[in-house]
Amino acid sequence: MSVTTMLAPSARNSASSTSSGFVPVSRQNTIGSNDGATRSVRASKRYSVTALYLSMSAQDRDLEIEDELARVQKILRDLKSKISSQSKKNFVLEKDVRYLDSRIALLIQNRMALEEQNEVASHFDESAEVEGGTFPNDQKTQSYGNLFYLLQSEPRHIAALCRCVSMAEIDSLLQTVMFTIYGNQYESREEHLLLTMFQSVLSAQFETTPEYSSLLRANTPVSRMMTTYTRRGPGQSYLKVVLAKQINNLIEHKDLNLEINPLKVYEQMIKNVEEDTGSLPENLPRSVSAEDAAENPQVQAIIEPRLTMLMEIANTFLATIIENLEETPYGIRWICKQIRSLTRRKYPDAKDHIICTLIGGFFFLRFLNPAIVTPRSYMLIDSVPSEHPRRTLTLIAKMLQNLANKPSYAKEPYMARLAPFVSNNKTRINKFLNDLCEVGDFYESLEMDNYVALSKKDLELNITLNEVYATHALLEKHSAELLKGRDTSHLKILLEELGAAPPQVPRKENRAIDLPLFSRWEGNIDDLSAALDITQEDVFFMEAKSIFVQLLRTLPATSAAARRPLNLRKIGDTATTMKDMGMFRKGMRGLELLNQLQELGVISDQDNFMILREEIEQELVHLGSLKEKVMEETKKLEEVYKTIRDHNAYLVSQLETYKSYLHNVRSQSEGKQRNAGGKQQKPQVLGPYKFTHQQLEKEGVIQKSNVPDNRRANIFFNITSPMPGTFVISLHYKGRNRGLLELDLKLDDLLEMQQNNHDELDLEYVQFNVPKVLALLNRRFARKKNW
Amino acid sequence: MQPRREYNIVVLGAGGVGKSCLTAQFVQNVWIESYDPTIEDSYRKVVDVDGKSTVLEILDTAGTEQFTSMRGFLLVYSITSLSSFNELAPIRDAILRIKEVDEVPMVICGNKSDLEGDRQVSKNRANHISKKWGNVPLYESSAKKRLHVDDAFMNLTRQMIRMMGATGTQKEGDKKEESHQERSGSQGGDMGKGKGKKRLCTIL
Repeated sequence: MSVTTMLAPSARNSASSTSSGFVPVSRQNTIGSNDGATRSVRASKRYSVTALYLSMSAQDRDLEIEDELARVQKILRDLKSKISSQSKKNFVLEKDVRYLDSRIALLIQNRMALEEQNEVASHFDESAEVEGGTFPNDQKTQSYGNLFYLLQSEPRHIAALCRCVSMAEIDSLLQTVMFTIYGNQYESREEHLLLTMFQSVLSAQFETTPEYSSLLRANTPVSRMMTTYTRRGPGQSYLKVVLAKQINNLIEHKDLNLEINPLKVYEQMIKNVEEDTGSLPENLPRSVSAEDAAENPQVQAIIEPRLTMLMEIANTFLATIIENLEETPYGIRWICKQIRSLTRRKYPDAKDHIICTLIGGFFFLRFLNPAIVTPRSYMLIDSVPSEHPRRTLTLIAKMLQNLANKPSYAKEPYMARLAPFVSNNKTRINKFLNDLCEVGDFYESLEMDNYVALSKKDLELNITLNEVYATHALLEKHSAELLKGRDTSHLKILLEELGAAPPQVPRKENRAIDLPLFSRWEGNIDDLSAALDITQEDVFFMEAKSIFVQLLRTLPATSAAARRPLNLRKIGDTATTMKDMGMFRKGMRGLELLNQLQELGVISDQDNFMILREEIEQELVHLGSLKEKVMEETKKLEEVYKTIRDHNAYLVSQLETYKSYLHNVRSQSEGKQRNAGGKQQKPQVLGPYKFTHQQLEKEGVIQKSNVPDNRRANIFFNITSPMPGTFVISLHYKGRNRGLLELDLKLDDLLEMQQNNHDELDLEYVQFNVPKVLALLNRRFARKKNW
Repeated sequence: MQPRREYNIVVLGAGGVGKSCLTAQFVQNVWIESYDPTIEDSYRKVVDVDGKSTVLEILDTAGTEQFTSMRGFLLVYSITSLSSFNELAPIRDAILRIKEVDEVPMVICGNKSDLEGDRQVSKNRANHISKKWGNVPLYESSAKKRLHVDDAFMNLTRQMIRMMGATGTQKEGDKKEESHQERSGSQGGDMGKGKGKKRLCTIL
């Protein structure tokens, strides 16, 4: 039901509203709630009751509210779940592409044995989707369901596991933890459990690190996980908001050279002089020391304006980052907060700037700067930036990192010239890094979410067999460490019951299953109010409020019952006269609750149930502004979703390229074998296919054309593939029989160019874009892939 | 003027093992105390090898894994971190693949030898790897105390001179090495970089 999203619109909202003076619900607090002194406790408790009630009503589907708000909320919810599942698909694809990246170079160099080719080929066996299926065995379903419930709801087990596993083992665990166990990126309970897991690993890391300068530096399974975390939906939207525009502006200026390393500037200068005059004057030796280069007046004159410009650009980056404090995902801010409080606890003497340094060590070093240095990997831009902008981006990242760390010593002397950027912004950045940490905790709402989860009868986890087995295998392998001092733990019981972990199944046999989660120890909670220590009157009050809000949202705005001031009885009466059974029931229940609450003395007929009325009005106002917020968030997420999908398409095309390449390599070596055996097979010629200049230009295949505009309409290309892996591109002018130009292309060469980031394929009259050509050839010349 | 010999060194290794400290000690004779993670730094140092002046271009890389896509080639481990030691093997594999030769100038450097109390990688274990990889010279260094810093760099320089001939190399093609390619959406940036380049050298 739509009301639920109020509870967990974004984790930030729910958490920040609980932050001020929140007192945990406990038995003592509820006793004597009439006592004036406990009123604030009661008031704050009301929030949790509301949240609880609203989340309970998520299961109550007998009245579908059909207003605008409900509709936009539904769209947002669907979008969020699409982003979560698409992210997982991309993660898996990325892993495959990464693996193939490392193998394909060997293929190009013909260094791969046949068995390994088969191994590589098996990566394509699995279609993008893993088929659905069920567990072979009921007993196992039960045990695994319990095991994964335990892993999800008690993050300390995963945290402990993260500390045990090696870097080699992390990949399978990472996928399962980040995209399956805590895969719903926008669900507050999973998000909060995941953060709790981070907290426990972080504090262990603080415990074991001898000095603060080594903190958060090593590449550990945990650092991998935190990175992956920053790259999920919310982090992605943030990077887009904060960086995409700035970076795109910058890379448009392809020729803007802002190099300030005197040695490089000097070398470039020498090169220019030599090209212009054909020789080098005596006073300009070819090779100089860094000091000599820095003292050269011409070099200084070149560098001076570049310094100003770099500082200006870095300032605009910084300003955008600071302006968008509130856009920063809650989880990332919360991690910053943990870093701050752990540092204060472990090093009570640590000065504020040391703390800022450590926060910057996470926020800039692991989150923002990688995206600035390699924006393509973060999907912020479409193509690899050219040399100069790339260097500028690296310099900007270095400046921002320097600002966060404020090192006392400039390792590269020339960077010292940018010191004003650090000194001018020191105060701002420290304030910003501290502001980042100013977010509330979530333990309160997490406790509640956990209760709600227990009360749900249909908690399920969509997980693949191999994820289940891999996690089981890791738990088994590290069980000694995990169970140390916990002889009677639930984990131990479950692991003993499950026995040895089954081996991984072949990719073809892997299945995605819906694993029902439950706990045999905690059991379902049927009576939430008992579990949470909430009084009956609280529950009645919240239920009444929720019902009247629902009724008002469903009644036509013109209805007499909807007039102000609200008359709650009239609203109830109106509902009971309606044909809709859901409305009728709600109306009846509403009226009944009014009576019960009056008997309990919570509200009174005298003032037309004022307390309740006021809360309902407030809620409606809140819902009104909520719609705007929901729509705004939807817009943002749509962009994220689009980016993720584009990236997916890119990854898929990359895999396709590798696939057809491998196919060619194998069919050629097969061909050789056949030829050796005396059988001759005529290769099948594909094409020619005709493409117009205009068409290729539009698709981006032509990235530069020297053909005059008025001639372009007469230019076309024929592409033929005489045998797999070989292509002939010819360029024609309408009306002439003979082509202007013909080019033989081997897929190997194209792939190698792509490997080397060589993007341009020169055809004299036009320049092709290598990745786009590859995509085109794949599309057009896809041969049967029955291997 | 007699052409000077020029060699490139890329310092690679996991985050926080002391790559920058080692480099700064070698190039500038300083001990860096502050918390200052590297994104990408480059240095030039002229050293005297057997009476001949030799120019070393040293590229100090980010160990932070998020930057792996801009990694040139090579690096250092910390004797206090087993995982940083274990990260060497895949890096070496990648280098050998890319260089298309079976022998590359290489030195293994176990840094932070001053932190004996926190040692996680025994000398034996490191020796074993060094032998297994064809007697790759191994040093246990301390950037802090400036122990075996020069030894490691100079040994490497001598290897380069021996393997590539004493004439050194021309400068063209360097840009390619320095331009850290961003590999298409993946992090496996070390592949396919440096084909046919024989001058780059590794400190592992």
